[in-house]
Amino acid sequence: MSGGRFSRRELAALLGLGLAAAGNGGAAAPLRGRVGVAPVKPGRLGAGEAGEAVARAVRAATGARTAEAGLRALFSPEDTVGIKLNCLAGRGMSPRPEVVLAFARLLARAGVRPERIVLFERSTRELRRAGFTDCAPFSCEGIDNRWDPEIRTSGQIGSLFARLVTRECTALVSFGVLKDHDLAGVSAGMKNWYGVIHNPNKYHDDNCDPFVADVFRCPVVRDRFRLTVLDAGTAQYDGGPAYRPSATWPLGLVAVSADPVAVEAWGWRVIDAERKRRGLPPLAAADRTPRWIATAARYGLGEGDPAKVREVRG
Amino acid sequence: MSGRRIDRREALRLAGGSWAAAAAAGSLVQLVPAAGEAYRPGQRVEGGPIEGIEASWWKRLDGNRVECGLCPRKCRVADRERGTCGARENRGGTYHSLVWGLACALHVDPVEKKPFFHVRPGSRALSYATAGCNVECKFCQNWEISQFRPEQVGSVWMPPDAMVMAARRAGAPLVAATYSEPVIFWEYVRDVSKAARKAGIGSLVVSNGSIQEKPLLEVLPLLEAYKVDLKSFRERFYREVVRGELRPVLDTLERIRKAGVWLEIVVLIVPTLNDSDAEIRDLARWVKASLGPDVPVHFSRFHPTYRLTNLPPTPVATLDRLWKLAKAEGLEFVYVGNVPGHPGESTDCPGCGARLIHRIGYRVLENRLKKGRCPDCGRVIPGVW
Ligand code: SF4
Repeated sequence: MSGGRFSRRELAALLGLGLAAAGNGGAAAPLRGRVGVAPVKPGRLGAGEAGEAVARAVRAATGARTAEAGLRALFSPEDTVGIKLNCLAGRGMSPRPEVVLAFARLLARAGVRPERIVLFERSTRELRRAGFTDCAPFSCEGIDNRWDPEIRTSGQIGSLFARLVTRECTALVSFGVLKDHDLAGVSAGMKNWYGVIHNPNKYHDDNCDPFVADVFRCPVVRDRFRLTVLDAGTAQYDGGPAYRPSATWPLGLVAVSADPVAVEAWGWRVIDAERKRRGLPPLAAADRTPRWIATAARYGLGEGDPAKVREVRG
Repeated sequence: MSGRRIDRREALRLAGGSWAAAAAAGSLVQLVPAAGEAYRPGQRVEGGPIEGIEASWWKRLDGNRVECGLCPRKCRVADRERGTCGARENRGGTYHSLVWGLACALHVDPVEKKPFFHVRPGSRALSYATAGCNVECKFCQNWEISQFRPEQVGSVWMPPDAMVMAARRAGAPLVAATYSEPVIFWEYVRDVSKAARKAGIGSLVVSNGSIQEKPLLEVLPLLEAYKVDLKSFRERFYREVVRGELRPVLDTLERIRKAGVWLEIVVLIVPTLNDSDAEIRDLARWVKASLGPDVPVHFSRFHPTYRLTNLPPTPVATLDRLWKLAKAEGLEFVYVGNVPGHPGESTDCPGCGARLIHRIGYRVLENRLKKGRCPDCGRVIPGVW
C-alpha cells in the first residue's frame, strides 16, 4: 500500500493471499470467495446492537482478530472512503441508518478520518427518504447530477461517472441490501454501482449481462473497491427492486465481503433458497438468471462459483 | 452538437418574453399556466422530481410491472424503474412519460438542416427535443441530451400551445421534433402536431424509425413529413454500434410510405463501418424496390464524436463514390450532407438533368420548381412544396 491507496495488484494480492500478505497482523485466511455474516435483528435497532453485528461480520469476512484490524488492512488513514448506499426502494428496503453508521464508526476507529467518510446515493432526496438525515460526523450527500465530464468506456458500457467517485474518493464500499431484481435477478452489492453512472437505464437488457460486471470493472470503481456490506436484516425474495413488503422475510444477517463477486453468488443462493421454501421457481426459471455474476468471475473480479463461496459465521 | 442546449434567454424569446405581454398583445395563445399545470410556459425546469403524465402506449403486467408499447424494445419495467430511454417510468404499476412538455432543446433551423430537401425549401422549422433516446449510437452527435435522463438536463416547459405560439413568433411555418429521439417523447409529438395543425403549421419528425406500428399509425396522419436515420443496412451494425435492430426500422419506412406521408432517409456514412459498396448497393436496391426510386436518400458525413473518436471524418471521396453508386442503382434523389459546396447538395431533375434547387450548406440559392414541376421538362418532382 502506498500513498494511502491500495493498488489493484495489492488488493488482488489480498483477495488471493490473505491479510497476512498485507503485513497488518491479521489472520492469514484468504479473502477470495469468503463472505462473513453475523446475526442482526430486522426492524428497529439500537446503535450497540448494530455495532456488534457489523463488527462480527467484518471479523468473519476478513479473518482478522478484531474488526478494526480487518478494516485497517483494507483502508488507510489517508483514504477518502465513499460508501455507496442503495436507497432506491425507500425506507422499507434500504440499508438502515443504524447499520450504516455503525460501519462508518468502525471505519473511523480503524483510522479513517470521520470527515473523510462519505455516505452517498444518487440523490439527496433518496437519502432523506431512506432516513439519512443526521449522519454527523460523517458527510452524507447525493450525487445530484454532479458527473465527471469524461465518458468512460468499460466493456459494453459508456458512461459518465459521479465526480465524487472519480475525483474525491480513494476507496469505495458498496452498502446495499439483499433483494430480488426484476431484470438483474439479484440486487446486492454489485448492481448498486449502477447508481454512480449517469445512464443506468441503458444497461438492463439481457438481465444486465455483461453490464453490471462492466460497470464494476471500470477502473474508477474496480481500483477503489474495498468491501461490500449488506444489511440483510430483512431481505426480499421477489418483486424487486421496489419494496414489496409481502415478499420480504427476516433473514436477520449482516453480510460483508472483500470479494465483490462471491457476495453476489452468496446472495443468489440465499434468495433462491427462500424462493424454494415458498414454492416459487428459482431465479433461473423465472427468466432472470444473474448471468453477470459468471461474467464478473470470468473477468477475474472474484469468485463466481457458488460451490466455492464460503459463508463464514461471525 | 447541432441541437445546442437551450438557454433561458432564447426560450423566453421564443416563448414570447413576458407572459403578461403576450396575453395583452392578444396573442393566439395566452401564456399562463393552464389548470393543473405545474409550470409556466418558458419556465426553466431542472433536477427532479418530474411529475410527468401517464404514457399512452403501455400495458400492465403482473406484480405492478408494465410493458412499454412504444418502441420495439418493449421494455418490461418494474415499479420505480425506467425504460431504456430513461424518459419513461413505472410508478406503482402505471407507466409515465417524464418528458411531455419539457423541451431541452429549442431552436429555429432551416428545414434543410434536418435535413429535408423536398419540404418547403428555405423554410424555418422550430425544432424541439426532450432528453432521452431508445438506442445508443456510438457516434451520436447529440449525446449530451439523447443519452441523459430528463432531470439531468435543463429543460423548458413548452406545452403544445406555447410551442405553436413560439413557432408563429419565430416566423416558422413548421415545427420539427428532432435532435434526440422523438419516439421517446411521442405523446408530446402527437399533441404538438395536433396544436400545430389547428394553427396551420406543419409538423415534421426526424427519427431513428424504431417505433411500434400502433403509435406510429396513430400519429402519422398529423405529420407533414418524416425523416428516418437509417443507420446501416446490416443487423450487425445495429447490434454493435447502435444497440438497436434494423428490421423494425425497415418496417417503419414501409409504413410511412404506405401512409402517404412524405419520407426522406439519411444514412450517416461512418468510415470502415458502413461504407462498403456492397452494403450501400443492398440499401439502394431495397429502397428502390420497397419504397420507390423517388424517396430522397442523403449520405451524410461523419465527424468523430461521443464514443467513436478513433475514426477520421468520412473522406469526401467515399461520399462521392456512394452518391454515384446509389444513383446508378436507380435512386432519383441522392444527396450528400455535411460537405458544403458538394454538387450532391442540390436537387436535379431526374428527367432532364436540369438543376432545380441549388443549395450550399443549408442555404437555398435558387429554387426553379414551378408548382412542384421541373420548369424545363415538366416532370413532377415529389415532395411537399
Ligand atoms: S420507448 Fe423507452 S421505455 Fe418504451 S420500449 Fe422504447 S426504450 Fe423502452
